[in-house]
Amino acid sequence: MSGPLSGRLTGWRAALRIARRDARRHKGRSALVLAMIALPIFGVAAADITIRSSDPSEEQQLQRDYGAADGRLSFPGVGRGERPVYQHPDGWDAVPVKKDRGGDAKQRDERPEPSDLKAVMPPGAHWLSDQRAATRVRTEHGVLRVHVRELKLADPMARGIATLLRGRYPKTTGEVAATQAFLDSSGLRVGSTLRPVEGGRAYRITGAYELPGSLNNKQLSALPGAMIRTDGSKPNDGVDRLGYLVSVPGAYTWDMVKETNTHGIVVTSKAVLLDPPPESEVPFYRKSPGMRPGAYEPTSDQALVLTIAVTVVGLAILEICLLAGPAFAVGARRQRRQLGLLGAQGGDRRHIRSVVLSGGLVIGVAAAVLGLALAIGATALARPLIEERLHTRFSSFDLPPLELAGIAGLAVLTGLLAALFPAIAAARQSVLSSLTGRRGVRRSSRVLPIVGFIAIGVGVAIAIAGATLTDRVEVVGIGSGIAELGLVALTPFLVGLFGRLGRILPLSPRLALRDAVRNRGRTAPAVAAVLAAVAGSVAVATYTASVDQQRRDEYAPSAPHGVVSVQMERGTGRTADRVGDAVEQNLKTTGRADVGHLSVGGVTCGGLSGGGSKCGGATVVVPEGNDCPLHYGGDEKLSAAERQKMMKSWQCNPPQTPHIPMMAGMDVLVGGTDVLKALGVQDRQAYAALERGHAVSFTQRYIKDDRITLAVFKKEQDYYNADDGDPDTTKKADRTIPLPAHHLRGQDEIYGVNVLLPPAAVTKAGLDHQNFGAYFRTDRLPTDAETQALSSAFNELNVNPILHVEKGYKSDSNNVLLALTLFAALVTLGAAGIATGLAQADAEPDLRTLAAVGAGTRVRRTLSGLQCGLIAAMGVVLGSIAGLIPAIGLRKAEERRKLADYAETLGNGWGGEPHIPIAIPWETLAGLLLVVPLGAALLAALVTRSRIPLLRRGEG
Amino acid sequence: MTATPVLQLRQLARTHGSGPTEVHALRPLDLDVFPGELVAVMGPSGSGKSTLLTLAGGLDAPTSGTVTVEGTDLTTASRRDVAALRRRAIGYVFQDYNLIPALTAAENIALPRELDGIRAKKARTEALAALDEMGLADIADRFPDEISGGQQQRTAIARALVGDRRLVLADEPTGALDSETGESVLAVLRARCDAGAAGILVTHEPRFAAWADRVVFLRDGEVVDQTLRSDASALLTPGAAQ
Repeated sequence: MSGPLSGRLTGWRAALRIARRDARRHKGRSALVLAMIALPIFGVAAADITIRSSDPSEEQQLQRDYGAADGRLSFPGVGRGERPVYQHPDGWDAVPVKKDRGGDAKQRDERPEPSDLKAVMPPGAHWLSDQRAATRVRTEHGVLRVHVRELKLADPMARGIATLLRGRYPKTTGEVAATQAFLDSSGLRVGSTLRPVEGGRAYRITGAYELPGSLNNKQLSALPGAMIRTDGSKPNDGVDRLGYLVSVPGAYTWDMVKETNTHGIVVTSKAVLLDPPPESEVPFYRKSPGMRPGAYEPTSDQALVLTIAVTVVGLAILEICLLAGPAFAVGARRQRRQLGLLGAQGGDRRHIRSVVLSGGLVIGVAAAVLGLALAIGATALARPLIEERLHTRFSSFDLPPLELAGIAGLAVLTGLLAALFPAIAAARQSVLSSLTGRRGVRRSSRVLPIVGFIAIGVGVAIAIAGATLTDRVEVVGIGSGIAELGLVALTPFLVGLFGRLGRILPLSPRLALRDAVRNRGRTAPAVAAVLAAVAGSVAVATYTASVDQQRRDEYAPSAPHGVVSVQMERGTGRTADRVGDAVEQNLKTTGRADVGHLSVGGVTCGGLSGGGSKCGGATVVVPEGNDCPLHYGGDEKLSAAERQKMMKSWQCNPPQTPHIPMMAGMDVLVGGTDVLKALGVQDRQAYAALERGHAVSFTQRYIKDDRITLAVFKKEQDYYNADDGDPDTTKKADRTIPLPAHHLRGQDEIYGVNVLLPPAAVTKAGLDHQNFGAYFRTDRLPTDAETQALSSAFNELNVNPILHVEKGYKSDSNNVLLALTLFAALVTLGAAGIATGLAQADAEPDLRTLAAVGAGTRVRRTLSGLQCGLIAAMGVVLGSIAGLIPAIGLRKAEERRKLADYAETLGNGWGGEPHIPIAIPWETLAGLLLVVPLGAALLAALVTRSRIPLLRRGEG
Repeated sequence: MTATPVLQLRQLARTHGSGPTEVHALRPLDLDVFPGELVAVMGPSGSGKSTLLTLAGGLDAPTSGTVTVEGTDLTTASRRDVAALRRRAIGYVFQDYNLIPALTAAENIALPRELDGIRAKKARTEALAALDEMGLADIADRFPDEISGGQQQRTAIARALVGDRRLVLADEPTGALDSETGESVLAVLRARCDAGAAGILVTHEPRFAAWADRVVFLRDGEVVDQTLRSDASALLTPGAAQ
């Protein structure tokens, strides 16, 4: 080789050699950067291998679905035997060729006999009965609903559908095999006896198997006719799916499928699935054009996912570069003399750059190799665990070469990018200053702050426009992103501003601050890395906390915290008392308040139907003026302003209905003062009113002039047609009963209760009542064991009541906030630590001078602690500000969108004013602003050697 | 000496700073160094010895005057050309930290050649030959921290002269060595000059300066005296001192 190219290559070879040996000589620093780059690579590569390995190829999936068969026959019920059908090539839908005249419901349950199939199947075909249903079986713990598949799994045609783990497949109709998931869940074993809840037969479990594509499927396998009844008595619940696996000589072609369709049979053919016929050959599409392939393509979703993925990867690379960059800068600084020597031997800027860049290349390649090797090894080792977790066996251990090469390339690119700026900076140093160790203070770029200011301006403008002019959240996101990048660019300038604080600080912090500010080249990337990580975390934390606050505000409890409520399902109210007893026996309760409903037409009439047609019902009427005038089209006379004013009135803002209210849909509950006590009512007058036989109205809606009015309907139909807000309800009612009532005040929550009537008042009004549930006060929340015991007691009573333990609002974002705080803290510590290492490398001469003028050895520790803490503090302060702004912007954009919706629906008289709170995650912020910088400072101080190394003469 | 000088300094001066902070590191001086000649530069601290050497090697740019190495004027050449000249014509030897710790002795010597685009194998062969010539063949594959200070400096001299380079600029090459080892290093340098190289040796020890053909005395950036080793009264380049 000769010429300039070979010269360049030779130069690079020498640079690579130096970089490789240097990486080995400075193991700590190399390991740190290596880990930083290799860890994400490991994660991405492991995810890639897992996704590719667990995602079976089309052929493999077909084998899992249909075994060695060529396809599966099914009977859509749209026309069987005589009535031909057109089917979708996939076989999941079919339409009759001629319009169905109905009356085939009976035929659905009919099962064609093999003798019927013989006439319609291609010559040489074999078939295997394959029927699926669901049934309930008794287990060690209780009753479990399982899938039953009647298919002779031992048959060669079924090979590939299931994997036998232990024992054998059933040979007689008295035997079943079970999936491992079923055995694990039921507590039964191979050899146990299995009893279905219905039918009375018992089966022996002869083997355990698994379905490679769905390991969590609780399935039983039996011989055809062993478990699934098709004679109409139907002990199995769920829809039976009849079918046959079919095998033909050659493949089941589309022409053969169409031929089979003429007999009303649908075929899911492997050959057709793998090679679908052209649209012109599918008559089904003529009948159902909407089912054409490509009729619905969610491409925008894919584009969005791609955009998000690219953004996340881009940000991750930026973050790694910001973190690893200073590490390379430390390296370049420590090799300054070496780079100077290289210059003295005739190395020009290109050579110096290539030595530092080679460092990035070496680490990048090492990280790629290490990350990939770890990913492959860990995925292979953890394969059984991953398979269990994903509920699917790997179809193969797939190492997609192109994707893995791409991921490896990403590692190399990250290493090179991280080393790029240190390389440029090192090459700019004059050989002389490198050799003499003179520390020139490099002026930071003048262009960068301007670019930063412009980016912040543009980004903020876009975000504000997004939040105020439009309701498009993504615009706010883009604007915030640009502004944040601007802030990163502006970091050197901002670090400079911090320097002004120096004058007021004592010696050590002043020295640390001045040093950080004078050497912005190394401080700024570290601060920027902290800034970016903290800003992201704070933004997500603020948004999450705000959404959490909104959910908390919107949460409507069913009862005070810790109160257990139980209520019967429709028409089973007569066992309510025994159910209540069961609760008291199994849970630690401190008080019970039975709750009843009104019965019209006799005690046997259930409040929510169940008594039959002779039963009626009673409802409370909303007095005139208490209903929202915007309802029932009553708002047409009102102006927009009046409507808006009305929207905010109590009439139009009914209290929130809890998720599980006591007897949803019932206006009136019957109960005594113990109910008030259970609901935590403080209003003494309410207790007195109830004792006097007066009603207590929990809302203002039903009460007027201290009265409520009951409308009684004798006929159930009339009762159901009645609407409490309808002004005509009183006219339609068979009878109206005015009752004295007390309006309950001073109650924050009304737990979905509208009106409470004392039993005496009910009797006095000539109505009946019946208990259907109860509230129970508790000292503590029931344990899992207590709840399970109660469930089994309910089972013994043969009832299935609705049990609710009010635990208050459960936030699911705590873990998210914690994880974000930890992530930001980790990045901050890493970045601050690296920058401190860099500062120490620079500060040696200062420390020697300090020691010479009599400073103690602790100065070194204090100084590095302060340097580290300072970088962390600057990063988290700037990052927190940068993070709060986009989060608030996003919430404002959301509010704006909701307000626009609200304005639109205002005329319709429904929809409440939107509530979009902004909650600042104070705990996260406090952790980041105080704990993290302090921790960083302490950690740096602790790990710093206090001894100052011996002076070596560096100048010639 | 009638041959063309390898190094020619004309009215060379270097000033740091300006106005009240102005420091004259080197006042205008002329100096020629011919093939086969070793010139010692002596003087107290801050006299401009090292400045003279860095200017001569193109590591620093003069405020005025010219530096010509093998016919090329460094003051007008591009940064890249100066670097190339350092690879091909000028060799440096410093007091310590002379060798790149990540490279073996042989690789250190081969470095300028490799940077110049010579194939690694050829560069190594040259390096091994140079080491052999110095009697250091057995340390070829050792790293700098595995060999003695004297061996390091001799390796540095070998590197400074590898290829066709004929100018050695040595800045206190014996400063970190004991006197015996120092003498041996100087012997090597002298031998290389006798073989046709030109050398400048910065030192403050008259004992080592005695190895030179000529001694230039500097004080406050000015040449105060130039003597031939054999004849202290003769000035080789008249006009340079005053």
